[in-house]
Amino acid sequence: MKKKAKYVIIGGGISGTSIAYHLADAGENDIVLLESGYLASGATGRCGAGVRQQWGTESNCRMAKMSIDFFEKAEEILEYDGDVEFKQEGYLIVNSNDEEAALSEKNVRLQRSLGIPAEMLTAEEAKEKIPHLNTDIVHSATFCGTDGHLNPFLMTDAFYKAAKKRGVTFYTYTHVEDIVTENGAIKAVKTDKGTIECEYVINAAGGHAQKIGEMVDVDIPVFSQNREILVTEPIEKIQGPMVISFSKNIYCQQTPHGSFIMGRGDDRDAGYSVHSTWKFLDEMAKTAAGLLPPIGELRVIRQWGGLYNMSPDRQPIISGCDVNGFYMACGFSGHGFMMGPVTGKLMSEMLLGLEPSMPLEELALERFEGQDLEAYETNVV
Amino acid sequence: MRIKNHPILSFDGRETIPFYFNDKLYYGVEGDTIASALVANNVKALTSSLHLERPRGFYCAIGNCASCNMVVDGEPNVRTCITPLKKDMRVYRQKGRGRLHAKE
Repeated sequence: MKKKAKYVIIGGGISGTSIAYHLADAGENDIVLLESGYLASGATGRCGAGVRQQWGTESNCRMAKMSIDFFEKAEEILEYDGDVEFKQEGYLIVNSNDEEAALSEKNVRLQRSLGIPAEMLTAEEAKEKIPHLNTDIVHSATFCGTDGHLNPFLMTDAFYKAAKKRGVTFYTYTHVEDIVTENGAIKAVKTDKGTIECEYVINAAGGHAQKIGEMVDVDIPVFSQNREILVTEPIEKIQGPMVISFSKNIYCQQTPHGSFIMGRGDDRDAGYSVHSTWKFLDEMAKTAAGLLPPIGELRVIRQWGGLYNMSPDRQPIISGCDVNGFYMACGFSGHGFMMGPVTGKLMSEMLLGLEPSMPLEELALERFEGQDLEAYETNVV
Repeated sequence: MRIKNHPILSFDGRETIPFYFNDKLYYGVEGDTIASALVANNVKALTSSLHLERPRGFYCAIGNCASCNMVVDGEPNVRTCITPLKKDMRVYRQKGRGRLHAKE
Protein backbone atom coordinates (compact mmCIF):
# COMPACT_ATOMS: atom_id res chain seq x y z
CA MET A 1 0.00 0.00 0.00
CA LYS A 2 1.13 3.53 -0.75
CA LYS A 3 2.61 5.40 2.21
CA LYS A 4 1.78 8.85 0.91
CA ALA A 5 -0.77 10.60 -1.27
CA LYS A 6 -2.06 14.13 -1.69
CA TYR A 7 -5.74 13.14 -1.64
CA VAL A 8 -7.42 10.22 0.11
CA ILE A 9 -11.04 9.67 -0.87
CA ILE A 10 -13.05 7.48 1.52
CA GLY A 11 -15.85 5.61 -0.21
CA GLY A 12 -16.02 3.76 -3.53
CA GLY A 13 -19.58 4.50 -4.52
CA ILE A 14 -20.78 6.89 -7.18
CA SER A 15 -19.67 9.98 -5.19
CA GLY A 16 -16.16 8.74 -4.40
CA THR A 17 -15.42 7.43 -7.88
CA SER A 18 -16.84 10.59 -9.47
CA ILE A 19 -14.70 12.80 -7.21
CA ALA A 20 -11.64 10.68 -8.06
CA TYR A 21 -12.35 10.99 -11.78
CA HIS A 22 -12.99 14.75 -11.71
CA LEU A 23 -9.88 15.47 -9.64
CA ALA A 24 -7.70 13.29 -11.86
CA ASP A 25 -9.23 14.77 -15.00
CA ALA A 26 -8.32 18.24 -13.73
CA GLY A 27 -4.70 17.11 -13.64
CA GLU A 28 -4.23 15.86 -10.08
CA ASN A 29 -2.17 12.70 -10.08
CA ASP A 30 -1.68 11.72 -6.46
CA ILE A 31 -5.05 10.30 -5.45
CA VAL A 32 -5.96 7.21 -3.45
CA LEU A 33 -9.51 5.90 -3.05
CA LEU A 34 -10.37 3.58 -0.15
CA GLU A 35 -13.43 1.34 -0.15
CA SER A 36 -14.35 -1.03 2.69
CA GLY A 37 -16.07 -3.54 0.40
CA TYR A 38 -16.20 -3.71 -3.39
CA LEU A 39 -17.02 -0.68 -5.53
CA ALA A 40 -20.72 0.27 -5.35
CA SER A 41 -21.25 -2.21 -2.49
CA GLY A 42 -22.98 0.43 -0.34
CA ALA A 43 -25.90 2.70 -1.10
CA THR A 44 -24.93 3.17 -4.78
CA GLY A 45 -25.40 -0.49 -5.67
CA ARG A 46 -28.55 -0.68 -3.54
CA CYS A 47 -30.38 2.34 -4.91
CA GLY A 48 -33.47 2.58 -7.09
CA ALA A 49 -31.35 3.81 -10.02
CA GLY A 50 -33.63 6.66 -11.02
CA VAL A 51 -32.36 10.09 -12.03
CA ARG A 52 -34.76 13.01 -11.95
CA GLN A 53 -34.78 16.78 -12.10
CA GLN A 54 -38.20 17.36 -10.58
CA TRP A 55 -37.19 18.84 -7.25
CA GLY A 56 -38.56 21.47 -4.91
CA THR A 57 -35.41 23.44 -4.15
CA GLU A 58 -33.23 25.39 -6.53
CA SER A 59 -30.00 23.66 -5.49
CA ASN A 60 -31.40 20.18 -5.98
CA CYS A 61 -32.86 21.15 -9.37
CA ARG A 62 -29.58 22.62 -10.55
CA MET A 63 -27.52 19.66 -9.35
CA ALA A 64 -29.90 17.17 -10.91
CA LYS A 65 -29.96 18.98 -14.25
CA MET A 66 -26.17 19.19 -14.44
CA SER A 67 -25.96 15.49 -13.62
CA ILE A 68 -28.47 14.51 -16.30
CA ASP A 69 -26.53 16.60 -18.82
CA PHE A 70 -23.47 14.55 -17.84
CA PHE A 71 -25.25 11.15 -17.97
CA GLU A 72 -26.41 11.93 -21.51
CA LYS A 73 -22.80 12.02 -22.66
CA ALA A 74 -21.19 9.87 -19.95
CA GLU A 75 -20.00 7.04 -22.20
CA GLU A 76 -18.38 9.51 -24.54
CA ILE A 77 -16.81 11.71 -21.83
CA LEU A 78 -15.46 8.76 -19.87
CA GLU A 79 -14.56 6.77 -23.01
CA TYR A 80 -16.41 3.83 -21.52
CA ASP A 81 -16.38 0.65 -23.58
CA GLY A 82 -19.75 -0.51 -22.24
CA ASP A 83 -23.30 0.78 -22.00
CA VAL A 84 -24.39 2.45 -18.75
CA GLU A 85 -28.01 1.70 -19.73
CA PHE A 86 -29.17 5.32 -19.48
CA LYS A 87 -32.80 5.49 -20.56
CA GLN A 88 -34.58 8.84 -20.64
CA GLU A 89 -38.23 7.91 -20.60
CA GLY A 90 -39.25 10.36 -17.94
CA TYR A 91 -40.52 10.48 -14.39
CA LEU A 92 -44.22 10.65 -13.75
CA ILE A 93 -44.93 12.11 -10.32
CA VAL A 94 -48.47 11.36 -9.18
CA ASN A 95 -50.50 13.82 -7.09
CA SER A 96 -53.17 12.43 -4.78
CA ASN A 97 -55.06 15.59 -3.83
CA ASP A 98 -55.49 19.36 -4.40
CA GLU A 99 -52.86 20.21 -1.84
CA GLU A 100 -50.21 18.05 -3.48
CA ALA A 101 -51.19 19.32 -6.93
CA ALA A 102 -50.74 22.93 -5.76
CA LEU A 103 -47.25 22.14 -4.48
CA SER A 104 -46.47 20.37 -7.75
CA GLU A 105 -47.52 23.42 -9.73
CA LYS A 106 -45.17 25.57 -7.68
CA ASN A 107 -42.34 23.07 -8.18
CA VAL A 108 -42.94 22.84 -11.93
CA ARG A 109 -42.71 26.65 -12.18
CA LEU A 110 -39.36 26.55 -10.35
CA GLN A 111 -38.11 23.67 -12.51
CA ARG A 112 -39.12 25.37 -15.75
CA SER A 113 -37.42 28.61 -14.67
CA LEU A 114 -34.19 26.58 -14.42
CA GLY A 115 -34.59 25.05 -17.87
CA ILE A 116 -36.03 21.71 -16.76
CA PRO A 117 -38.80 20.62 -19.18
CA ALA A 118 -41.35 19.52 -16.56
CA GLU A 119 -45.11 19.85 -17.12
CA MET A 120 -48.40 19.35 -15.32
CA LEU A 121 -50.62 16.51 -16.55
CA THR A 122 -54.25 15.66 -15.88
CA ALA A 123 -55.00 12.13 -14.69
CA GLU A 124 -56.10 11.25 -18.25
CA GLU A 125 -52.87 12.57 -19.76
CA ALA A 126 -50.94 10.59 -17.15
CA LYS A 127 -52.77 7.45 -18.25
CA GLU A 128 -51.60 8.02 -21.81
CA LYS A 129 -48.03 7.81 -20.52
CA ILE A 130 -48.73 4.84 -18.22
CA PRO A 131 -51.69 2.85 -19.56
CA HIS A 132 -51.83 0.59 -16.49
CA LEU A 133 -52.03 3.53 -14.04
CA ASN A 134 -55.03 3.33 -11.72
CA THR A 135 -56.47 6.80 -12.30
CA ASP A 136 -59.21 6.22 -9.69
CA ILE A 137 -56.64 7.15 -7.05
CA VAL A 138 -54.75 9.75 -9.09
CA HIS A 139 -55.61 13.47 -8.89
CA SER A 140 -53.10 14.76 -11.46
CA ALA A 141 -49.41 14.38 -12.23
CA THR A 142 -46.22 16.07 -13.31
CA PHE A 143 -43.93 14.72 -15.99
CA CYS A 144 -40.41 15.43 -17.17
CA GLY A 145 -39.34 13.52 -20.26
CA THR A 146 -35.58 13.90 -19.81
CA ASP A 147 -35.60 12.19 -16.40
CA GLY A 148 -34.86 8.49 -16.45
CA HIS A 149 -32.78 5.70 -15.01
CA LEU A 150 -29.40 4.07 -15.48
CA ASN A 151 -27.37 1.21 -14.09
CA PRO A 152 -25.53 2.20 -10.86
CA PHE A 153 -22.96 -0.59 -11.09
CA LEU A 154 -22.02 0.24 -14.67
CA MET A 155 -21.95 3.99 -14.02
CA THR A 156 -19.60 3.45 -11.05
CA ASP A 157 -17.49 1.15 -13.21
CA ALA A 158 -17.30 3.85 -15.88
CA PHE A 159 -16.03 6.43 -13.36
CA TYR A 160 -13.66 3.86 -11.86
CA LYS A 161 -12.09 2.93 -15.19
CA ALA A 162 -11.75 6.56 -16.30
CA ALA A 163 -10.17 7.50 -12.94
CA LYS A 164 -7.82 4.51 -13.00
CA LYS A 165 -6.70 5.43 -16.50
CA ARG A 166 -5.86 8.89 -15.16
CA GLY A 167 -3.66 7.41 -12.44
CA VAL A 168 -5.95 7.08 -9.39
CA THR A 169 -5.02 4.22 -7.03
CA PHE A 170 -7.93 2.15 -5.69
CA TYR A 171 -7.84 -0.03 -2.55
CA THR A 172 -10.97 -2.11 -2.05
CA TYR A 173 -11.71 -4.24 1.04
CA THR A 174 -9.76 -1.67 3.02
CA HIS A 175 -11.24 -0.31 6.24
CA VAL A 176 -10.50 3.18 7.49
CA GLU A 177 -9.76 2.89 11.21
CA ASP A 178 -8.79 6.42 12.11
CA ILE A 179 -7.80 9.80 10.73
CA VAL A 180 -4.81 11.58 12.22
CA THR A 181 -4.80 15.37 12.51
CA GLU A 182 -2.10 17.74 13.66
CA ASN A 183 -2.68 21.38 14.60
CA GLY A 184 -6.17 21.24 13.16
CA ALA A 185 -5.03 19.86 9.80
CA ILE A 186 -5.21 16.46 8.15
CA LYS A 187 -2.06 14.38 8.58
CA ALA A 188 -2.82 10.76 7.70
CA VAL A 189 -5.45 8.05 7.28
CA LYS A 190 -5.01 4.79 9.19
CA THR A 191 -6.44 1.67 7.59
CA ASP A 192 -6.31 -2.03 8.40
CA LYS A 193 -3.78 -2.39 5.58
CA GLY A 194 -1.47 0.47 6.55
CA THR A 195 -1.26 4.22 7.06
CA ILE A 196 -1.31 6.79 4.26
CA GLU A 197 0.06 10.26 4.91
CA CYS A 198 -2.01 12.84 3.09
CA GLU A 199 -3.03 16.50 2.82
CA TYR A 200 -6.69 16.05 2.01
CA VAL A 201 -9.35 13.58 3.10
CA ILE A 202 -12.63 13.52 1.22
CA ASN A 203 -15.45 11.84 3.09
CA ALA A 204 -17.71 10.14 0.54
CA ALA A 205 -18.64 7.28 2.83
CA GLY A 206 -22.39 7.46 2.18
CA GLY A 207 -24.27 5.78 5.03
CA HIS A 208 -21.13 5.80 7.16
CA ALA A 209 -20.16 9.45 6.59
CA GLN A 210 -21.01 10.44 10.15
CA LYS A 211 -18.57 7.88 11.58
CA ILE A 212 -15.80 9.21 9.36
CA GLY A 213 -16.61 12.72 10.61
CA GLU A 214 -16.29 11.55 14.22
CA MET A 215 -12.72 10.46 13.51
CA VAL A 216 -11.74 14.12 13.15
CA ASP A 217 -14.24 15.35 15.79
CA VAL A 218 -16.50 16.93 13.18
CA ASP A 219 -20.16 16.49 14.02
CA ILE A 220 -21.89 16.15 10.66
CA PRO A 221 -25.65 16.56 11.25
CA VAL A 222 -26.66 13.49 9.27
CA PHE A 223 -28.03 10.10 10.21
CA SER A 224 -28.51 6.86 8.31
CA GLN A 225 -31.73 4.99 7.79
CA ASN A 226 -32.50 1.65 6.16
CA ARG A 227 -34.69 1.90 3.04
CA GLU A 228 -35.86 -1.20 1.27
CA ILE A 229 -36.41 -2.14 -2.35
CA LEU A 230 -37.79 -5.19 -4.10
CA VAL A 231 -37.43 -6.53 -7.62
CA THR A 232 -39.90 -8.66 -9.56
CA GLU A 233 -39.50 -11.26 -12.26
CA PRO A 234 -38.91 -9.77 -15.73
CA ILE A 235 -41.73 -9.23 -18.21
CA GLU A 236 -41.93 -7.68 -21.67
CA LYS A 237 -41.78 -3.91 -21.48
CA ILE A 238 -45.01 -2.17 -20.45
CA GLN A 239 -43.68 0.88 -18.60
CA GLY A 240 -41.31 3.57 -19.85
CA PRO A 241 -41.31 6.28 -17.16
CA MET A 242 -40.51 5.90 -13.48
CA VAL A 243 -43.72 6.38 -11.50
CA ILE A 244 -43.45 8.01 -8.10
CA SER A 245 -45.79 9.43 -5.49
CA PHE A 246 -44.79 11.19 -2.29
CA SER A 247 -48.18 10.84 -0.62
CA LYS A 248 -48.62 7.18 -1.60
CA ASN A 249 -45.00 6.55 -0.77
CA ILE A 250 -43.79 4.65 -3.82
CA TYR A 251 -41.34 4.77 -6.67
CA CYS A 252 -41.44 2.10 -9.35
CA GLN A 253 -39.56 1.61 -12.61
CA GLN A 254 -39.21 -1.18 -15.16
CA THR A 255 -35.53 -1.91 -15.85
CA PRO A 256 -34.17 -2.59 -19.36
CA HIS A 257 -33.97 -6.25 -18.26
CA GLY A 258 -37.75 -6.27 -17.81
CA SER A 259 -37.96 -6.54 -14.03
CA PHE A 260 -39.71 -3.93 -11.90
CA ILE A 261 -37.75 -2.23 -9.14
CA MET A 262 -39.76 -0.47 -6.47
CA GLY A 263 -39.24 1.08 -3.09
CA ARG A 264 -40.84 3.14 -0.36
CA GLY A 265 -39.79 4.79 2.85
CA ASP A 266 -41.20 4.44 6.32
CA ASP A 267 -40.38 5.66 9.80
CA ARG A 268 -37.30 3.83 10.88
CA ASP A 269 -34.87 4.36 13.70
CA ALA A 270 -31.52 5.71 12.66
CA GLY A 271 -28.96 2.93 12.32
CA TYR A 272 -26.74 0.96 10.04
CA SER A 273 -28.84 -2.16 9.51
CA VAL A 274 -29.70 -3.02 5.91
CA HIS A 275 -31.93 -5.99 6.72
CA SER A 276 -35.07 -6.90 4.81
CA THR A 277 -38.45 -6.93 6.54
CA TRP A 278 -41.83 -8.58 5.99
CA LYS A 279 -43.53 -5.27 6.71
CA PHE A 280 -41.89 -3.69 3.68
CA LEU A 281 -42.78 -6.59 1.40
CA ASP A 282 -46.40 -6.45 2.50
CA GLU A 283 -46.82 -2.68 2.27
CA MET A 284 -44.84 -2.33 -0.95
CA ALA A 285 -46.88 -5.00 -2.70
CA LYS A 286 -50.16 -3.40 -1.63
CA THR A 287 -49.05 0.08 -2.69
CA ALA A 288 -47.78 -1.06 -6.09
CA ALA A 289 -50.84 -3.21 -6.83
CA GLY A 290 -53.08 -0.28 -5.89
CA LEU A 291 -51.43 2.30 -8.13
CA LEU A 292 -50.26 0.01 -10.97
CA PRO A 293 -52.63 -2.97 -10.72
CA PRO A 294 -51.21 -5.41 -13.33
CA ILE A 295 -47.86 -5.39 -11.54
CA GLY A 296 -49.59 -7.19 -8.68
CA GLU A 297 -49.52 -10.31 -10.87
CA LEU A 298 -45.72 -10.47 -10.86
CA ARG A 299 -43.66 -12.59 -8.51
CA VAL A 300 -41.11 -10.96 -6.25
CA ILE A 301 -37.60 -12.24 -6.92
CA ARG A 302 -35.81 -10.62 -4.00
CA GLN A 303 -35.66 -7.60 -1.71
CA TRP A 304 -32.83 -5.71 -0.04
CA GLY A 305 -32.07 -2.67 2.06
CA GLY A 306 -29.65 0.22 1.76
CA LEU A 307 -28.77 3.32 3.73
CA TYR A 308 -30.19 6.77 3.10
CA ASN A 309 -27.84 9.33 4.60
CA MET A 310 -30.31 11.97 5.74
CA SER A 311 -29.40 15.63 6.17
CA PRO A 312 -31.64 18.04 8.11
CA ASP A 313 -32.91 19.82 4.98
CA ARG A 314 -32.71 16.78 2.67
CA GLN A 315 -30.11 18.52 0.54
CA PRO A 316 -26.55 17.25 0.26
CA ILE A 317 -23.59 18.56 2.20
CA ILE A 318 -20.70 19.27 -0.16
CA SER A 319 -18.34 21.22 2.01
CA GLY A 320 -15.09 21.74 3.82
CA CYS A 321 -14.97 22.34 7.58
CA ASP A 322 -12.88 23.59 10.53
CA VAL A 323 -10.34 20.82 10.07
CA ASN A 324 -7.95 21.88 7.36
CA GLY A 325 -8.00 19.45 4.47
CA PHE A 326 -11.14 17.59 5.57
CA TYR A 327 -13.95 17.71 3.00
CA MET A 328 -17.23 15.89 2.75
CA ALA A 329 -19.86 14.90 0.18
CA CYS A 330 -22.66 13.28 2.15
CA GLY A 331 -26.24 13.70 3.38
CA PHE A 332 -27.71 13.09 -0.05
CA SER A 333 -30.90 11.83 1.63
CA GLY A 334 -31.43 9.02 -0.84
CA HIS A 335 -30.36 10.84 -3.98
CA GLY A 336 -26.59 10.56 -4.10
CA PHE A 337 -26.56 8.31 -7.15
CA MET A 338 -28.43 10.69 -9.41
CA MET A 339 -26.24 13.61 -8.30
CA GLY A 340 -22.99 11.68 -8.64
CA PRO A 341 -21.51 13.55 -11.61
CA VAL A 342 -22.09 17.02 -10.15
CA THR A 343 -20.82 15.89 -6.75
CA GLY A 344 -17.47 15.04 -8.31
CA LYS A 345 -17.37 18.24 -10.30
CA LEU A 346 -18.22 20.55 -7.38
CA MET A 347 -15.85 18.77 -5.01
CA SER A 348 -12.94 18.98 -7.45
CA GLU A 349 -13.65 22.68 -8.04
CA MET A 350 -13.71 23.24 -4.28
CA LEU A 351 -10.43 21.38 -3.71
CA LEU A 352 -8.64 23.10 -6.56
CA GLY A 353 -9.97 26.57 -5.72
CA LEU A 354 -11.75 26.95 -9.06
CA GLU A 355 -14.89 28.94 -9.80
CA PRO A 356 -17.79 26.69 -8.69
CA SER A 357 -20.32 25.58 -11.33
CA MET A 358 -23.16 26.62 -9.01
CA PRO A 359 -23.55 28.52 -5.72
CA LEU A 360 -22.25 26.38 -2.87
CA GLU A 361 -23.67 28.22 0.17
CA GLU A 362 -26.78 26.04 0.24
CA LEU A 363 -24.61 22.93 0.30
CA ALA A 364 -22.15 24.12 2.95
CA LEU A 365 -21.93 22.53 6.38
CA GLU A 366 -22.26 25.96 8.05
CA ARG A 367 -25.82 26.39 6.77
CA PHE A 368 -27.11 24.35 9.71
CA GLU A 369 -25.46 26.50 12.39
CA GLY A 370 -28.09 28.05 14.65
CA GLN A 371 -30.85 26.83 12.33
CA ASP A 372 -34.08 25.24 13.31
CA LEU A 373 -33.36 22.04 11.43
CA GLU A 374 -36.62 21.66 9.59
CA ALA A 375 -36.79 19.80 6.30
CA TYR A 376 -37.75 21.91 3.33
CA GLU A 377 -37.13 19.64 0.38
CA THR A 378 -40.48 17.86 0.29
CA ASN A 379 -39.90 15.84 -2.88
CA VAL A 380 -38.34 12.84 -1.15
CA VAL A 381 -39.60 9.24 -1.15
CA MET B 1 -41.44 -42.58 -21.28
CA ARG B 2 -43.17 -43.54 -18.07
CA ILE B 3 -42.43 -45.94 -15.24
CA LYS B 4 -44.99 -48.70 -15.60
CA ASN B 5 -43.86 -51.07 -12.86
CA HIS B 6 -42.80 -49.79 -9.48
CA PRO B 7 -42.19 -51.85 -6.31
CA ILE B 8 -44.33 -49.59 -4.12
CA LEU B 9 -46.45 -47.27 -6.25
CA SER B 10 -49.17 -48.42 -8.58
CA PHE B 11 -50.26 -46.46 -11.64
CA ASP B 12 -53.40 -48.40 -12.51
CA GLY B 13 -56.71 -46.73 -13.06
CA ARG B 14 -55.38 -43.22 -13.54
CA GLU B 15 -57.52 -41.06 -15.75
CA THR B 16 -56.18 -39.80 -19.08
CA ILE B 17 -56.14 -35.99 -19.41
CA PRO B 18 -56.27 -34.36 -22.85
CA PHE B 19 -54.49 -31.00 -23.28
CA TYR B 20 -53.03 -28.87 -26.06
CA PHE B 21 -49.42 -27.95 -26.58
CA ASN B 22 -48.81 -25.39 -29.35
CA ASP B 23 -52.38 -26.16 -30.54
CA LYS B 24 -51.74 -29.89 -30.94
CA LEU B 25 -53.64 -32.45 -28.86
CA TYR B 26 -51.63 -34.44 -26.28
CA TYR B 27 -52.54 -36.73 -23.39
CA GLY B 28 -51.25 -36.80 -19.86
CA VAL B 29 -52.40 -38.80 -16.87
CA GLU B 30 -53.94 -37.88 -13.55
CA GLY B 31 -51.21 -36.68 -11.19
CA ASP B 32 -49.08 -35.16 -13.93
CA THR B 33 -47.76 -31.65 -13.80
CA ILE B 34 -47.83 -29.84 -17.15
CA ALA B 35 -44.09 -30.36 -17.56
CA SER B 36 -44.15 -34.05 -16.63
CA ALA B 37 -46.92 -34.66 -19.19
CA LEU B 38 -44.86 -32.89 -21.86
CA VAL B 39 -41.70 -34.81 -21.00
CA ALA B 40 -43.68 -38.08 -21.12
CA ASN B 41 -44.73 -37.04 -24.64
CA ASN B 42 -41.10 -36.48 -25.57
CA VAL B 43 -41.44 -32.67 -25.68
CA LYS B 44 -38.06 -31.53 -24.45
CA ALA B 45 -37.83 -27.82 -25.25
CA LEU B 46 -40.18 -25.95 -22.88
CA THR B 47 -38.92 -22.39 -23.25
CA SER B 48 -35.93 -20.53 -24.66
CA SER B 49 -33.15 -18.35 -23.33
CA LEU B 50 -33.79 -14.60 -23.42
CA HIS B 51 -30.84 -13.37 -25.43
CA LEU B 52 -29.78 -16.17 -27.77
CA GLU B 53 -33.15 -17.96 -27.76
CA ARG B 54 -31.56 -21.33 -27.21
CA PRO B 55 -33.91 -24.12 -26.06
CA ARG B 56 -34.43 -24.65 -22.32
CA GLY B 57 -35.84 -27.87 -20.90
CA PHE B 58 -36.95 -29.58 -17.70
CA TYR B 59 -34.37 -28.63 -15.09
CA CYS B 60 -34.96 -28.01 -11.38
CA ALA B 61 -38.44 -29.58 -11.25
CA ILE B 62 -39.26 -27.77 -8.00
CA GLY B 63 -40.30 -24.31 -9.24
CA ASN B 64 -37.06 -22.50 -8.47
CA CYS B 65 -35.52 -21.95 -11.89
CA ALA B 66 -37.18 -20.40 -14.92
CA SER B 67 -36.42 -23.25 -17.31
CA CYS B 68 -40.00 -24.45 -17.72
CA ASN B 69 -41.85 -21.11 -17.79
CA MET B 70 -44.61 -21.39 -20.39
CA VAL B 71 -47.79 -19.63 -21.42
CA VAL B 72 -50.74 -21.52 -19.96
CA ASP B 73 -54.30 -20.45 -20.77
CA GLY B 74 -53.01 -17.00 -21.65
CA GLU B 75 -50.91 -16.51 -18.54
CA PRO B 76 -47.15 -16.11 -19.11
CA ASN B 77 -44.29 -17.40 -16.93
CA VAL B 78 -46.26 -20.31 -15.46
CA ARG B 79 -43.87 -22.70 -13.74
CA THR B 80 -45.12 -25.81 -15.49
CA CYS B 81 -43.04 -28.23 -13.39
CA ILE B 82 -45.15 -27.50 -10.31
CA THR B 83 -48.49 -26.71 -11.94
CA PRO B 84 -50.91 -29.68 -12.05
CA LEU B 85 -52.19 -30.63 -15.49
CA LYS B 86 -55.87 -29.98 -16.08
CA LYS B 87 -58.21 -31.10 -18.84
CA ASP B 88 -58.10 -29.02 -22.06
CA MET B 89 -55.35 -26.68 -20.87
CA ARG B 90 -53.78 -24.70 -23.68
CA VAL B 91 -50.02 -24.64 -23.25
CA TYR B 92 -47.63 -22.70 -25.47
CA ARG B 93 -43.88 -22.53 -25.64
CA GLN B 94 -42.95 -19.04 -24.44
CA LYS B 95 -40.75 -16.68 -26.40
CA GLY B 96 -39.10 -13.87 -24.51
CA ARG B 97 -40.17 -12.61 -21.10
CA GLY B 98 -43.88 -13.00 -21.56
CA ARG B 99 -46.58 -10.38 -21.83
CA LEU B 100 -48.34 -9.32 -18.69
CA HIS B 101 -52.07 -9.73 -19.17
CA ALA B 102 -54.93 -8.38 -17.12
CA LYS B 103 -56.87 -11.19 -15.49
CA GLU B 104 -60.61 -11.14 -16.04
